[in-house]
Amino acid sequence: MRFLHLILRSLLRSRRRTLLTILSLAVSVFLVAVLQGILGTLDGFAHNPDASSRVAVRHKTSLANLLPLRYEDWIRQQPEVDAVIAMQWFGGVYQDPRNFFANFAVEPEFLTRIFKEEIGTYSESGFRTFVKDRNACVVGQALADKYGWKVGTVVPLKGTIFPINPRLTVRGIYHSKRNADEMALYFHYKLLEEGVPRMKGKVGAFWVRVRNPNDVPRLIERIDHQYRDALEPTLSETENAFQLEFLKMLGDYATMIHTITAAVLFAILIVTASTMAMTVRERTTEIAVLRAMGFRGGQVLGLLMAEGVLLAALGGLLGVGLATLAAGFLRHSAGSLIPWLSDFTLPADTLLFCLHATVAVGVLSTFLPAYQAIRRPIVEGLRAL
Amino acid sequence: MGALLFIPLVPALAWLTWAALRHAVPLSYNWRSLWQRRTATLSTALAIAVVVAIFVVVLSLSQGLSRAFVTSGRSDQALVLRANARVELNSSLERDQARIIKGDPRLVHDAWGPLASAECYVVVMLDRADGSGAANVALRGLEPAGVRMRSQVRLIRGRWFNPGLPELVVPARLAGRFQGLDLGRTLAFNGRRWTVVGTFEAQGSAFDSELWTDVDQVMQSRKRDAYSSMLVRLAAPDRITGFTRAMDADKRLKLETRREVDYYADQTEAGKPIQYLGNLITVILTLGAIFAAMNTMYSAVAGRTAEIGTLRALGFRRVEILASFQWEALMLCGLGGVAGAVLALGFNGIQTSTVNFQTFSDVSFAFNVTPGLMAQGVAFSILMGLAGGFLPAWRASRIPVTEAMKS
Repeated sequence: MRFLHLILRSLLRSRRRTLLTILSLAVSVFLVAVLQGILGTLDGFAHNPDASSRVAVRHKTSLANLLPLRYEDWIRQQPEVDAVIAMQWFGGVYQDPRNFFANFAVEPEFLTRIFKEEIGTYSESGFRTFVKDRNACVVGQALADKYGWKVGTVVPLKGTIFPINPRLTVRGIYHSKRNADEMALYFHYKLLEEGVPRMKGKVGAFWVRVRNPNDVPRLIERIDHQYRDALEPTLSETENAFQLEFLKMLGDYATMIHTITAAVLFAILIVTASTMAMTVRERTTEIAVLRAMGFRGGQVLGLLMAEGVLLAALGGLLGVGLATLAAGFLRHSAGSLIPWLSDFTLPADTLLFCLHATVAVGVLSTFLPAYQAIRRPIVEGLRAL
Repeated sequence: MGALLFIPLVPALAWLTWAALRHAVPLSYNWRSLWQRRTATLSTALAIAVVVAIFVVVLSLSQGLSRAFVTSGRSDQALVLRANARVELNSSLERDQARIIKGDPRLVHDAWGPLASAECYVVVMLDRADGSGAANVALRGLEPAGVRMRSQVRLIRGRWFNPGLPELVVPARLAGRFQGLDLGRTLAFNGRRWTVVGTFEAQGSAFDSELWTDVDQVMQSRKRDAYSSMLVRLAAPDRITGFTRAMDADKRLKLETRREVDYYADQTEAGKPIQYLGNLITVILTLGAIFAAMNTMYSAVAGRTAEIGTLRALGFRRVEILASFQWEALMLCGLGGVAGAVLALGFNGIQTSTVNFQTFSDVSFAFNVTPGLMAQGVAFSILMGLAGGFLPAWRASRIPVTEAMKS
């Protein structure tokens, strides 16, 4: 610590260079933080602890195939089951195809029980009216805010998958922890079933809440076994597995992000190394003087390394700070493209990873130039004086 | 949009070329100076190469994806869908309606009849070849005319499916990515066993992500009695408007007719997330690279104060010194840019996939590193050179002669 002043002084020796290096590091670390944050956010959806007691049951062939509604009765009778509802992705469009948000036709009675965590706080009376009114819907706060809907607003949806265009009255607005959960609309399954002949007695999926998460594997196996030889076989999986499948279809984004991260870290490693090499070269005389004064090689090496690490760490901190500031902006801009990203956050792990990586860059980039500097004979360095 | 970005480059480059041609400091001087400090030069150029390579590779990804959709349609063909359906998966078309459309006199006929194919488009879950779960893959049922109407599609092994049999013809591209798609294998779905009887190649179009079979097989196995859509060919692209008007006027049909090219162009939306990510990465990394280039150039200027003084004493003017150092920055970054573009070429043709959010099915495509993209990458590096080199060059040109000679 005695030498902190000396290290700072050396860093400030060429302010412009230090500043440019820090900025170059900062923007790269910013990028790495954002990319890793995207990865972390997406992974969060496939490892959602709130969903651990929920099971999704659908047709084995694909999500576009329908299951008979009567399966629901058998599932409900299973001892592990707390509640089950039929759910159908409606895929309706509000005003313009670009206004994308999730809208589902569901059986309303147990909706809040199944999605206890997601439909967190809501007005009891509003939801009671929703259950009674077949032309009603409930929406998340974020969705209501986006289009300026209030309780009582009529929302016309244009069916893309189904040839009906329901006009739904907003009866309840709910809040949840995650923004993505608030970007959804639920309306009566009956409305869909009555409007579309081929939906009679059929549905895309069942959502099941299990009393005890430990029973989930057993229940999954029992359901699929029960319908294995049926005309419409089922595929049951945890909600997390279901989400993971969707995320996987996005592509191998994980490899892509990791590759870019590695490439960027490599690039900043060479940039920092090049800066440190310049610094050390300019100070050949200074280093020789230090050593002539009695500093041992190791000490000088330590001083130079500390300088490099400090430089890198400053860049890293600035980058991480910028990324934290930009998180809000990204939630809005990226969230409209990839719905999952409307919950973009930078997990502490990601931030730590970035700081560790930059410190490592500092160490690796300084070592070689610094080592070369202290290996040079003192006399040679002093000659330049 | 990319091209617009480079408009400011043109006058700057024109000025620099003029400065280089009009006597001035020889370029070999810069070249030798760069070589003198080769460690710094190479490391900066390498960092820029990495940035340019990332830029080109990410853009080649979205390029490959748009290519999949853009090359799918033909301008003289139209797709008839249920009104509001937007994609074939969501559409339905009754048999009566299909008959009416097929009887339309405007359709082109070939030796076997009208070029019109009623089709059924569904998705099936297939297990990935690497065992990492399953994905939705599109299954298209076609009439024989449908196969003839897709000029991109070429059978490479086996034979086409026989109408009336559960036989599949699959894209060669998918065979490596999903289980059970090899020639002669059978797959079980929709309560039927399907035999793979052939593989085709569709020049990177959307059909390279679809399994093909007889339309009636799909409908029977799904217990459906409606088609999804109908593809028709007209004599010329400009006949489509008239055909659409006739379709709209027919009270028996409540359908929507779209040009096949437009239909597929709309689906390039699937590439938006990648494009967004690509732009984000490019902007950020370009900034970082500019800072790094600036650093190197400043250090180059600082180390050559005496040289600059000599040049000035020899009679070179400030503007010429400015141009000279700007050229040096351009060389430095251009070197990195070319290296990066070549590096990116290594990714060309690698297969990957993403999801089409409109059909929730798998789209398989390849990284498509085109010469245009590589040129864009090099242009970007020149932009970096201009931006990163200007301030140091300016500084070099401002050093007073007396002071420079003193050092």
